[in-house]
Amino acid sequence: MTELRSIFTDEFVNLLTKISKEGIENASKGFAGMLGKELTVKSSTAKLVKLLDIPKMLGGPEDETVAIYLKTEGGIAGQMMLVMPCEKAFGLVDMIMGEPIGTTTVLGKMEKSALQELGNITGTYFLNYVSDNTGRSVRPTPPAVMVDMCAAILDIVIATAGIENEEVLMLDAEFVQGDLCTEIQFWVIPDPQTILAYGAK
Amino acid sequence: METSVGVGLGEIAVSQNCEEILVAFGLGSCVGIGAYDPVKGIAGLLHAVLPEPLNGSDLSSTKYVGNGINKLFEEMISKGAVKERLIIRIAGGANMLTSPGLSKTFDIGTRNIAMTLKVLETQRMKIVSQNVGGSTGRTFRIYVADGKMTIRMIGEKETVF
Repeated sequence: MTELRSIFTDEFVNLLTKISKEGIENASKGFAGMLGKELTVKSSTAKLVKLLDIPKMLGGPEDETVAIYLKTEGGIAGQMMLVMPCEKAFGLVDMIMGEPIGTTTVLGKMEKSALQELGNITGTYFLNYVSDNTGRSVRPTPPAVMVDMCAAILDIVIATAGIENEEVLMLDAEFVQGDLCTEIQFWVIPDPQTILAYGAK
Repeated sequence: METSVGVGLGEIAVSQNCEEILVAFGLGSCVGIGAYDPVKGIAGLLHAVLPEPLNGSDLSSTKYVGNGINKLFEEMISKGAVKERLIIRIAGGANMLTSPGLSKTFDIGTRNIAMTLKVLETQRMKIVSQNVGGSTGRTFRIYVADGKMTIRMIGEKETVF
């Protein structure tokens, strides 16, 4: 089995970082358009992460966390996830629905639907950029919204990517809108086979 | 004073210290296998991640159910536990994604449970109780003092199972 690390040269990391950075900038436009607010993107990086270290990257393992999850299919297969503490998700729902901040206190069907739409738009904007710049077709699955313990949510990434590798490539960024949207992480985890296909070129 | 000992992904903890609580936080699709020898007061907890390795993967890793269970028993026996006396309870194996089109893709939880049952059956080890499946994460605790095993789901109280 070829390991990701063997193709992870500085040049390859720089290329991935550039594509992810610009793709995430594009995603932030979709995000901002839906919220009707200006957004900035902070700390966009591409890095190899040890699978078993992923749960340590967010807060406490039992913290109540909200994730909007999409899989990507086609020429670039992988996973995308917007991860945030529950309180931030409530604030986002209020912004999307045009309600005063503090209105949403639970995530019912309608609130989850609003977050799904946010995931859909953000993911699509990101993928459109990546597709345009790589010449590969890529499409997102319908998003799923999860509310659970942080560690339990991250099991999805670990179980899916970890079948084949001990490490995964993770592109991450943070969206910032004033004080409200900090701590919303945008993760992209391409499938190892996709990375290996790119790295072999 | 009680002390929590975190059992991370693919890790095993074995203890005979009455003041310790072994904890696997937020099991999603992962499965926790707890074992307790009531005579020796030895507790063990495995946090297994995946049902089985693919070709070329590290076969010795305890992140896989089969190897993890073997290592768990080995460690407990090396400390004086007797396999036939072990009280075994399992928890976890949720299907975290219930969205149409995604659920089947991530059937790891179901496969983890199936593999756990198979491995324990092969070893002729009986499971006393289980809290598995569904679509919700769980925290699994074993109190070394008396072998009590509990689960907690988000927004709920800790309950013995």
